[in-house]
Formats: sequence, structure tokens, C-alpha cells
Amino acid sequence: MDQLIDRAVWFLRRANEVIALVAGLALLATVALILLDIVLRQLHTETLGGTDEVSGYVMAITTAWAMSYALTRLAHVRIDLVRNQLPGAGRALFDVIALWTLAATAIFIALQTWPVLARSLRLESTANTSLATPLWIPQALWFGGWFWFALSASALALALVWFALRRDVERAEAVGGAGSEL
Amino acid sequence: MIAYVGFGLLACLALSIPVGITLFLLAFGIDAFFSPFPLMRALGSIIWSSSNSATLIAIPFFVLLGEILVRPGVAERTYAALDRWVSWMPGGLIHANIGTATLFSATSGSSVATAATVATVAMPQAEQLNYNPRLFSGAIAAGGTLGIMIPPSINLIVYGFLTESSIPQLFLAGLVPGLMLAALFMAATAVLCTINPKLGGPSRPASWAERLVGLKDLIPILFLFGAIVGSIYLGWATPTEAAAVGVAIALLIATLTGGLSIRVLIDSLRGAVRVTAMIMLVVIGAYVLNFALSSAGLGRALQDLMASLGLTPLMTLFVIILLYIILGFFIETLSLMVATIPIIVPIVVGLGYDPIWFGILMIILVEMALITPPVGLNLFVVQGARRSGSFSDVMVGAVPYALVMLVMVGLLILFPQIALFLPSTL
Repeated sequence: MDQLIDRAVWFLRRANEVIALVAGLALLATVALILLDIVLRQLHTETLGGTDEVSGYVMAITTAWAMSYALTRLAHVRIDLVRNQLPGAGRALFDVIALWTLAATAIFIALQTWPVLARSLRLESTANTSLATPLWIPQALWFGGWFWFALSASALALALVWFALRRDVERAEAVGGAGSEL
Repeated sequence: MIAYVGFGLLACLALSIPVGITLFLLAFGIDAFFSPFPLMRALGSIIWSSSNSATLIAIPFFVLLGEILVRPGVAERTYAALDRWVSWMPGGLIHANIGTATLFSATSGSSVATAATVATVAMPQAEQLNYNPRLFSGAIAAGGTLGIMIPPSINLIVYGFLTESSIPQLFLAGLVPGLMLAALFMAATAVLCTINPKLGGPSRPASWAERLVGLKDLIPILFLFGAIVGSIYLGWATPTEAAAVGVAIALLIATLTGGLSIRVLIDSLRGAVRVTAMIMLVVIGAYVLNFALSSAGLGRALQDLMASLGLTPLMTLFVIILLYIILGFFIETLSLMVATIPIIVPIVVGLGYDPIWFGILMIILVEMALITPPVGLNLFVVQGARRSGSFSDVMVGAVPYALVMLVMVGLLILFPQIALFLPSTL
């Protein structure tokens, strides 16, 4: 069982690393797009139009998918002042509380993002801009990110409880500890 | 309702529930207990509209810029060049610490990254030259805090976003106080080291020829800073566009100085994504809490509270400052700002203070939070870069600089123009 969970956690980390790189490349592409827009504007030729709109979508989508990566890297900020004063069992308890609350909130968020996408699909809404982007396209990618966050958080929350009950401190800290990385 | 938010916030944070999630939970609580109609049905739309933002994408850009540029290679050369320019003053190399931190603040939007880089480069020197470690490390921790004050500043972007104030104005407002703080840090160092030379090290005179040679290592960073702040000031570019240009220049500088490899680029991209998530979870949480508070009638509750306290505006301001100093002992920078903005800023603006001015005041206060124990991220970072010695060295060494920040708070209250003059020329 330990091995199975180890493998699942490893897979999650690996997947999130790939996701983080793709998100980073999307940011870099947006930088290029904005630069192109500035250059065209200076040349007084036609501007691309819609750069702002695309930047906004990239931000929303990147943010959503990045959540899970930050989670596997233990990067979401926690105030660990009290936690660090506690003995091992107390720490584990705090970690479980923190990760389970996070997972529950992530699930709730994911459930609440679905209606936004569903409405855009149903009404075939388009952005009120010159691009007239069909909103379901960016919103589907955005929803996917929050859904993946809920999924990852739930998986990690289960793994954490398993390791905590087995008193496997090292693995538990790796899955749900307070990040020492700043 | 205000008491509920206050106690709930402290309780959840003490339980080490992630800060962003805490803000969501408080919003859910307000929805359940204080709002006559359900608010959280709008949660999905709020999250979409708050993160679908061409303004906020400046945050990952500035983080990326820092990740690419703020690397030991570039920092070493900068440090060596600044050493020749400023280390002739009493206190020696300590001035180079502050100078390098200031210069890196002008390219990086983050205080922790600034302190980490300067510490990596400076610490070996301190050990080699037998400096007293206290003031030396305290200066790095304090100098690093300027990262969130001197533009570009991620914290100011977040403040502007949450309070709907102009980010270009905030950037300009932070420039003079940031530089003044750096100058005051240096002045304090010189005074302390004149009184007690053992606190620092020998002054390190350099010839003008050496200084001019060193200048070539400073030009790329100064150019980058000028391009970002200048283009915003002249109205050529929005902060997001300036950030994109900054990323391009940083990539160019890193390529020319041989600091760019595929590995560095991949690490920088992942780093930017990680930090963005960290910031955005807290920002979206605050945005949701903001929405819940104002829908549930925060304005009314605040009016009642202020009326019942019966304080003058200035006294209220002092209470708020005291609150930040105390909270700053325990909560780190961005979380402290974001968690308090929904309540504190409406109070302060209601009293008739300028939101841009208060943004800068708040930045100084959270800068203090970075170097006050037990939770002071910059203290941890600097200690982490030392190979030996106790944490209390860094802590004690940072105290003079924390006091300088208090002086700066006083100056800013007496002379609001320090912050407001430059934006008023926009």
C-alpha cells in the first residue's frame, strides 16, 4: 500500500512539474505577444487588438493550474508559529487539519466554477470585445485547473492521513508539512 | 462582524491553515451568519473575474524577471561594483550590503528574493574579513525589505488591485520613500560604526578609476530599472507592458552575461508559476472576503465601531499602526497586507487619508514585519545563508534598522508629500 501511495504521489508531483512548465511557457508567450503589440503600436500600423483580453485569460488559467503545483511544492503560505512548537503528533494533527480544510475548500471552489462554464456553454456567451471570444474556451481551461487542484488536494489529503496514522513522519511531512522553502 | 473576522482570522492562522484558505473560510462564515441573502453562489464568477485580469499578470512577469536576473552571478558583480562606491563610509562593506539590496529591489518585486540573493553573495565576505556578524546580517535583512517598496513592487500591485487605486501612482509614491529609507539605513550604519567601530569593519577606500570601471556592471540593472519606471512614468506603458519589457531586458542581460541556460530558464519559469500561485490564492481569498464583507454591510459596521470608539483620526491611525507592528511579529508580509486591507483601508480612507499615501505607509509597516522576530522571513533567509552563528545575531542586528523604519513612518505622517509629490506630477 505504501508503495502504491508513493507512486501516486510521485505521479502527481511529476504531472504538476510538467503543468508548471507549460504554464510558464504560456506566460513567456504572453510576454512575446505584448512586446509585439508595443512594437506595432510604435510603428503606427495596425495593433493586434485584444492583447489585454488574452493576457487576462492567460492569468486566470495559469493561476488555476498553478495552484496544484504550489500545493505539491508545499508553497501555500501557512503561519507555522504554533505548529512548530508542538511535538510530532500535534504537528501531524495540524497538518491534517490544514490539508483537509484546503481540500474541502478546493472541492467547493471547483464545484462553484462549474456553473460559470456551464452558463457560458448554454448561452454560447462571447466576450464583449472585438475578438468576441467564445467564453467557454478560456473558461473550460480555467475550470480544468481548479478541478485538478481539488483532485490533487483530495489525493494528498488521503495520503497524508495514511502516513500520519502509520506514524511515517518523513513521508507525512513531504506530503503535507509546512514548507520551509521561502 | 468585525470581531468575528478578527478572531476567526487569528484562530485559523494559529491552526496553520493556509492563509488563502483562511480568507475563504471567513468569507463562507460571513455568508452563513451575517448576510441576509446567499453570497457564495457568486463564488465562481468572483474567482473568474478576479483572476481574469490583465493587470495582475504583471505579478508573474515581475516574479519571472527577478528569477531570471536575481542570481548570484549578476549579484556578485553588482556587489563588487557597489563596494567601491559606498564602502568608504564608516561601517565598510555593510554599506555595500544595503546598496546591493536597494539596487536589486529596483528590479525585483520581492523582498525575500532580494535578501536571499544579497545574503548568498555577501555572507562569505563577512566571514573572510572578520566582520561582526550582527549589524552585517541585519543590514542585509533590512535592505532586502526595500524590494516591496521601490518599484516594481508586487505588494503594491496587490494593494492597488484590492483597493482599486492606481498602480502607476503607487509605484511612483514608493520611489522616494524607498530611496530615503536606503539612505537612512546607511546613515544609521555610519553613525553606529562611528560611535563603536567594532560593530562594522574598516572603511574601504577606492580610487575613482576603480569606481568607473565598476560602473559597467551597474549599468544593465540601472537601465532595466529606468526602462520599467520611466516607461510607466511617461505614460508609454501600463505596468503590465513595462513588466513584459522588463522580462525581455532581463533575458537579454542574462544572455549577455552568460547567466542564461535552458536549466535556468526552466527553473525560473517554474519558480514564477509557484510564486504566482502562492500569491494568487491569498489575493483571490482576499477578493472573495472583500466581496462578502461589503455585501454584508461592512461600511455600516465600521461606522458604528468608529463612533463607539470616539477617537480622533490621528489617534485611530496610531492604533492601526500599533496593530500592524504587533501583527507583524507573527504574520508575514503579503498575508498581513492582504488579510487586513478589506477592513483597515476603508477605515483609513473614511477618516480622510489618501489611499495611495496609506499604501506606502502600510508597506513600511509590513517591511518591519519582515525583520521582526519571531516570524520575520528576511531574518530566516539571512540566517539560512550563514554557515555558523545563532539566529539571535541577525535578530539583534536588524533592530537599529527596524527603528529607522519607525522614524520613516513618523516622517511620512508629518510630511505626506514625501510619498505624494511624485505621483502628483503624473
